[in-house]
Amino acid sequence: MTTLSEGDLRLTLPASVNGRKFDDEQHGLSHCMKAVDWILELPDRICFIEVKDPDAPGARDHGNRDAFLQELLSGKLSGALATKFRDSFLYEWACNRIDKPISYYVIFASADLDDALLMSRTEDLRRKLPSGTQVNWVRAIAMDCLVFNIAKWNEVFPEFPLSRPQP
Amino acid sequence: MPDTSAPITRIRLKRFTAFESLDLSPSAGINAFLGTNGTGKTHLMKVAYAACDSTQPSVRFPEKLVRVFLPSKGGMGRLVKRRRGRNSATAEVWCHGKTIRASFSNLVKSPESVEERRRIWDEPVNSVYIPVKEMLANAPGFRSLYSRRSIHFEEIYADILDRAFLPPLLGAPEVARRGLLRKLRTVLEGNVTASNDEFFLRSRQGILEFTLLAEGLRKLGLLWLLIQNGTLLRGSVLFWDEPETNLNPRLFGPVVEILLELQRQGVQIFLATHDYLILKQLELQTTDKDQVAYHALYRDETGEVVCKSTESYLDIEPNAITEAFSDVYDLEIQRSLGKRK
Repeated sequence: MTTLSEGDLRLTLPASVNGRKFDDEQHGLSHCMKAVDWILELPDRICFIEVKDPDAPGARDHGNRDAFLQELLSGKLSGALATKFRDSFLYEWACNRIDKPISYYVIFASADLDDALLMSRTEDLRRKLPSGTQVNWVRAIAMDCLVFNIAKWNEVFPEFPLSRPQP
Repeated sequence: MPDTSAPITRIRLKRFTAFESLDLSPSAGINAFLGTNGTGKTHLMKVAYAACDSTQPSVRFPEKLVRVFLPSKGGMGRLVKRRRGRNSATAEVWCHGKTIRASFSNLVKSPESVEERRRIWDEPVNSVYIPVKEMLANAPGFRSLYSRRSIHFEEIYADILDRAFLPPLLGAPEVARRGLLRKLRTVLEGNVTASNDEFFLRSRQGILEFTLLAEGLRKLGLLWLLIQNGTLLRGSVLFWDEPETNLNPRLFGPVVEILLELQRQGVQIFLATHDYLILKQLELQTTDKDQVAYHALYRDETGEVVCKSTESYLDIEPNAITEAFSDVYDLEIQRSLGKRK
């Protein structure tokens, strides 16, 4: 069993799944490339996972939550999320580790985001990811993308539970 | 304890149309009704509207109910919830703490034979019902036709035109009302005027008759008229059935802002909506000082319509609107994950 951490959040993976933290010090190129938080390797796909946690106690106390919501509403956040995906893809491609389709999952760990908002954020992010459909790419760089809150993630991926352990 | 300063403090229905039994204490501010089709949102608002209008000495509640609901051949007994054998219905509304009530059996043909129990109000409750279908563009001739001929239209359509045609109040509008009119003028990009039974929007594009305007803008024009002519003042009641209809979602924000402001000025508001964005705008724009209640109408396990009320958007249960979004989002996830789900 592997546990991946990001702030207060913990993603638990079974032993059969290879998962790693991607944006840590081993990344080595953080001065020029953005990075998603975690990468999971599933039998049929590679999952890039980015976590945003506006409900983290520290974020609430320091006003970061309001800044996050502003970013979310202005559309800047989905642009930044798309950049993280592109840079992470490039990094993994250069490492010759892209041997399966890639799914991009973003987790907004906020109870305020209901399914209607998750859906609209998914559509917004999807529009910002390069799909190549207009220029005849023969390979998609992102097979799909979805935006989750914690409850939705756990509903869809019960085998990879995401939790916020109490201190 | 209900706020007796509000025009409508309680609505109680027994075996009336869709309702077996309902007892509702609305908020003095905004009341948003949500529920799937056939759960009685419009019926509830129509009963309350008929009661408000019947606080005028010249209007009897049973007749008003029939004219507003328009049962087949004017048969008042058809407003009794369908069930085998003889049954009776009661519609009872508390306006400023005083009741107005009509009880009748399903065998009753004419409302004239139905007794009403009512109190005397010093001042009738001013109320306005904005129906789903926009009527201003059809105003020319409609009012005279309605008053002279038996045409099959619920009275709410004639009533709304009567309210819209009221002349402006004497004197300049007070500051709060001026602010509302200014907001509406900004959205409409013009002023509404009436001439010979016809309404026009005077804007930079010229003077446009309402038939040439988008239906959503006509609705906002109606709101402008009702505020300008003083129909919507402190102590009045606004019923608005599906404000979202024909309105671009970009306008939901300003519309909700205006509704909240009307509520702050003492107008009690009843809305029936199917729209997520209307509710979300209401939630996001509501401040601690505002009075907003959400009423979820749904059928329980026995198939009867029941109502759950809450002051918090997130506590609405069941929320037919977000459930619909969840269903779509689940389909989206299933499609994205292929066989995974």
